[in-house]
Amino acid sequence: MKLLTHNMLTSHVKGVTKGYPLLIKATEVKVNEVEFNPQFVSRMIPKVEWSSLVQAAEQLGHRQDLPGELVPDYENNEEFLKKVHRVLLEVEVIEGCLQCPESGREFPISRGIPNMLLNEDEV
Amino acid sequence: MTESRSEGGLVRYYCTAGNGMEPFLVDEVKRKLAAEDVHQMPGKVLFSSSVRIDRVAELKAAERLFLLLKHDSPVRLSSHTSPAKAASVLQSRLLGDRNQWTSAVLTWNRLQGELAGQRTAFNISSTALGVMRKNEEVARRSEELREEEENCHVEIGESTGEQREEESGNRRLRAGEENGACALEKKRKRETVPGGEKTRRETCGAEAKILEKKIKREDENMSQRTSEREQEREDKDDDDEERRMVMEFNSCGQDVKKGMISESGLHGSGSVSAHATPGRDHDVESSSRKIDNLAEDCSVENVENEVKTIGEDKTLLQPSRIRPEITTSVRLSFRISCKCTGSLSRYFSTQEVSKVIGVGLGRLLGWKADLRNPQMEVNVYLSDDHCLLGIPLTRLPLANRNYIKTTGLRSTVAWAMASLAQIQPGFCVVDPMCGVGTILIEAAQEHKAACFLGVDIDDRQLQKANENIEFAELGNRIHLLKASSMVLPLPSASVDAVVCDLPFGRKFGTKTNMAANLPVIVAEMERVLCVGGALVLLLSPQLSCLLKKILAQKDTKPTSNQEIKPQTGVQDCSSPSLSTRKQETFQIHQGVKSPPTQETDTLSGVKHSLPPPLSSLKHQATLRVSLGAIDGLIHKYVKIDV
Repeated sequence: MKLLTHNMLTSHVKGVTKGYPLLIKATEVKVNEVEFNPQFVSRMIPKVEWSSLVQAAEQLGHRQDLPGELVPDYENNEEFLKKVHRVLLEVEVIEGCLQCPESGREFPISRGIPNMLLNEDEV
Repeated sequence: MTESRSEGGLVRYYCTAGNGMEPFLVDEVKRKLAAEDVHQMPGKVLFSSSVRIDRVAELKAAERLFLLLKHDSPVRLSSHTSPAKAASVLQSRLLGDRNQWTSAVLTWNRLQGELAGQRTAFNISSTALGVMRKNEEVARRSEELREEEENCHVEIGESTGEQREEESGNRRLRAGEENGACALEKKRKRETVPGGEKTRRETCGAEAKILEKKIKREDENMSQRTSEREQEREDKDDDDEERRMVMEFNSCGQDVKKGMISESGLHGSGSVSAHATPGRDHDVESSSRKIDNLAEDCSVENVENEVKTIGEDKTLLQPSRIRPEITTSVRLSFRISCKCTGSLSRYFSTQEVSKVIGVGLGRLLGWKADLRNPQMEVNVYLSDDHCLLGIPLTRLPLANRNYIKTTGLRSTVAWAMASLAQIQPGFCVVDPMCGVGTILIEAAQEHKAACFLGVDIDDRQLQKANENIEFAELGNRIHLLKASSMVLPLPSASVDAVVCDLPFGRKFGTKTNMAANLPVIVAEMERVLCVGGALVLLLSPQLSCLLKKILAQKDTKPTSNQEIKPQTGVQDCSSPSLSTRKQETFQIHQGVKSPPTQETDTLSGVKHSLPPPLSSLKHQATLRVSLGAIDGLIHKYVKIDV
């Protein structure tokens, strides 16, 4: 699971009103170098919930001194885009779990794929 | 733009396309190839383009690519024409001018040469040194060919000698540069390809399994195709088109039977190339490569829906074998593949047509018919609407994607769905039942600055999807997660487009009842979509009917006099799937429904008993496309603000 995906994930356990952002409990984290596509990264930044991203990166120890607030004019700031690229796409949780902040329900991550499937009684 | 231009200027092509895919292909050739003179007919699109052949060969909506030889009004014979007279009418109508054929063959040869780089790179997994030399040869030859082609034009007298000379000089110069670039590209490709090629070959078994499953899903047609072991899932619906009759001049017709190919493949490829091409010195590495080729050809046979011999594969595949001395004086070997429908087919059998044309060609140009190992194939389509002659430019259909390891949905249809979603840079696109990820891969190949999320409930599907994504090197933009399509772990209004091939209910029939869950699934898709976002669904005819009713129910209930329950709808509407060919081709129902905005006010009290409101989905189009034995319907909706 990459942090770009994590940024979108929400817990929909029955009764939960704010299942976002999910806490990350990683047991295996991998950093893969992938091709840097500045256009892609700068297009994704407005879609991202910035504070959740920074928080998630912090939890994994890969914050890259990213600022707590999104910098203005980031489109032309290649250094910044590269850092975001790293956090969004290169840091990957292979094993571990995600935890719903409200209900405490844990969603396992195995082989890089989070399992967000709920039991029938949780829907 | 100049460097992307083909050396030969405008070339007239045609592509075959699955039923319902023609409009997508028309749009694509216009958009990507600046195609001119685009002409659409059922199953085919004709166009002219001066864009380089390798770009033409990257078309996504097409099945196969041909160089157009002739497109003409249909051949009509009165019922009392004698067979001999009929044959001569056919010959005079179809064969025509000698020069036309000669220059077509030279163009074909040149295009083959231009394609050679990519092709040989895929074909070779060892002896890189030998290949380098070969590639150089190819480059040199294609250059010579170009020259010859020009000479030929001069002969025909299309332009003045002086102009030509100057131009051809320029061309040679440019050609040189291009070949240089080409060679570099080849080198790079060769480094990356062998590994991939190997895995490809290894997955052959897996593919076969999927194929089996698919065939089960399409059991309706099983009986008529039991004999065709080598069905290729991609090609299934081209059945009638691709199951061509190979001409039989001589008595050796039986040799071409498929069964023999796989069994006697080894023997065939060795001996055929040796005796069928007399006077050709085969280099040492060619024999050392035979095993590799053979392995590949065998796997190819598995995924190809055509009657082909190994020997022929080799010739078509390796333009390096085609000697520059192919000119009018050389006895080019050829084979005719013919498809004949309508009134003419009652008069002639396909074999007879092939024979007549074959004999005529032999007489006209001195070419030699060779069923097993021809240098060139000529495809002939005769119907009541037109006659069309062409030469195939690629051995494998364009629909066979070299970047997809395990194919799920037909790649052309997946591409068409992605194109309907109108993905923009920065979009986040979700497939809530992604399967092996075919739609997402086709979409991500086309849209480099969008992010894709594939969701599936099945671990094995996700695993295959993961392999596919890695194979296509799209891991940074396509992400996967396991979840139910009925409860997506995503915030409301968070994604820009939803694309989905809903399981047709046969493969997963036991696990989930698609018909029963459809309202919930669509409601969930609608929830995660942002306003203005597109929803593109591929549905079985039954589910398509059902969805229309679910949505229509919401819109028209107050005035409706027809009360249809979704459950009975499934059975009721099985008949539209059996509609005739003509109706299947292309249908758009636009603005069929009244805008749902008015209803929501009056309904708000009543309608909230149903899950979430679907009335924000505005229907835009319904398109029928062929998926093989069965058709699928692509529905497109846009979420509007209510």
